[in-house]
Amino acid sequence: MTKLLRRRVLAGLALALVPGVSAHADTLDDIKKAGKVRIAIDTAIPPFGMTDDKMQAAGSDVDTAQLLAKDLGVKLEIVTTTGPTRIPMLQTDKADLVISTLSITPDRAKVIDFSLPYADHPSVVASLTSVPLSSYADLAGKKVAVVRGTTQDTDLTREAKGAQLVRYEDDSTMALAFASGQVDILATARSLLPAISKKNPARKLQSRITMQTFYLAIGMRKNEPKLKDWVNGWVRTNLQNGQLGAIYKKHHGIDIPVDQLLKAGS
Amino acid sequence: MSYQFDFSFLAERWPDFVAGAWLTIQLTVLSIGLGFLVGTVCALVRVYGGAAPRRLVGFYVEMIRNTPLLVQIFIVYFGLSSIGLKLSAETAAVIALAVNMGAYTTEIMRAGIQSIQRTQLEAADCLGLTRLQAIVHVVLLPAMERVYPALSSQFVLLMLASSITSQISAEELTAVANNVQSDTYRSFEVYIVVAVVYLGLSVLYRFGFWAIGLVLFARKRRLGTAL
Repeated sequence: MTKLLRRRVLAGLALALVPGVSAHADTLDDIKKAGKVRIAIDTAIPPFGMTDDKMQAAGSDVDTAQLLAKDLGVKLEIVTTTGPTRIPMLQTDKADLVISTLSITPDRAKVIDFSLPYADHPSVVASLTSVPLSSYADLAGKKVAVVRGTTQDTDLTREAKGAQLVRYEDDSTMALAFASGQVDILATARSLLPAISKKNPARKLQSRITMQTFYLAIGMRKNEPKLKDWVNGWVRTNLQNGQLGAIYKKHHGIDIPVDQLLKAGS
Repeated sequence: MSYQFDFSFLAERWPDFVAGAWLTIQLTVLSIGLGFLVGTVCALVRVYGGAAPRRLVGFYVEMIRNTPLLVQIFIVYFGLSSIGLKLSAETAAVIALAVNMGAYTTEIMRAGIQSIQRTQLEAADCLGLTRLQAIVHVVLLPAMERVYPALSSQFVLLMLASSITSQISAEELTAVANNVQSDTYRSFEVYIVVAVVYLGLSVLYRFGFWAIGLVLFARKRRLGTAL
């Protein structure tokens, strides 16, 4: 590499590293002017985002993004992202919006803005249809599978003292442990239950105890009042007319609590 | 580089590490014992047995030595429970480790047994020893003495390999480390602590095997000299 070339590459890198302080007047205007909206989605977390058998992006977050783009009257450009890079995508202006199982947390609210919640994302304790449970006390002396270091692990360690926690390293090992009959009870995100039940049709999971509910929202850069108003209005309309509920039901098989979401957002 | 080491989690979590190390010791002592028995019997079969049993042992040894331990553990834990045999993680770990240990012991002991000359057995016959006496005193003990360094190394290797049973939720030393690490985010320090504990266990095991060797092979003989 010549010296000049190296200097150019370094200059380019330096520019790329400067966070999104560009002189954007208004993202909503820019989207309309460009005729497309760039939405960051993680396509590796079914059923929110995935790649279907025709190698097309699919999932509830993908459908939500498509609906939003249609209502905005522009083309959709999906920017593929991963869990940890969702927020940097906004900060570095690689995406206009994030629709990617992004739950509202105080830490995130310091760096980005959230729309009204469009879905809920609870953690649950679920068990085999033949193993009834109604409270943490019922877990005493029973084996409960969790993924090590997750919020479910921390919460149950604190709340369900009598339970015998069986810790696995990842979701798929835990799912295998349930499907093969090593455990009858597990704690995980509710959205994973259908996929785990599908592994072994003889062993169906039923959600029993709701542990913690996160709300999923659309993420955007701070100080975008026009964009935020439009997105909020869009979420409210589509929650009320049932379109968002239908998308969620199609991919997750359950209804979203519309009233609860509208109340949480107000 | 200005990394601030922080080992303060030890004050609160040291009982977890002790419990984990204790489970590691229990798992490995059991599986070393079982695996040694299996391996010794298989080695005798492999040297003195008929054609069919010999081939069967050969199949077992090659199957185990040419597949990953983690896969073997998954087969015992997830596979057996799929067909209705539900074992606890600890039991599954001991079985898988013992089966693995058995295969390696077979090969090590076979080398030892083959180093005992046939004339030794003939001499035992002349002296009127029963078949069992001859096998224990004339074949097995001297054979084991010859391969003892290789054998005890394999035992220590198994102890270190037992760390992967954390994958099937056995709460041994490595699993404890993963728990503490995910609570405190002090991964560097946690794994340093665990490495030191494993090192201590290895030294303990090697000392133990040396002591057992002193008792078993009372006539001290230099390695490699004629029996």
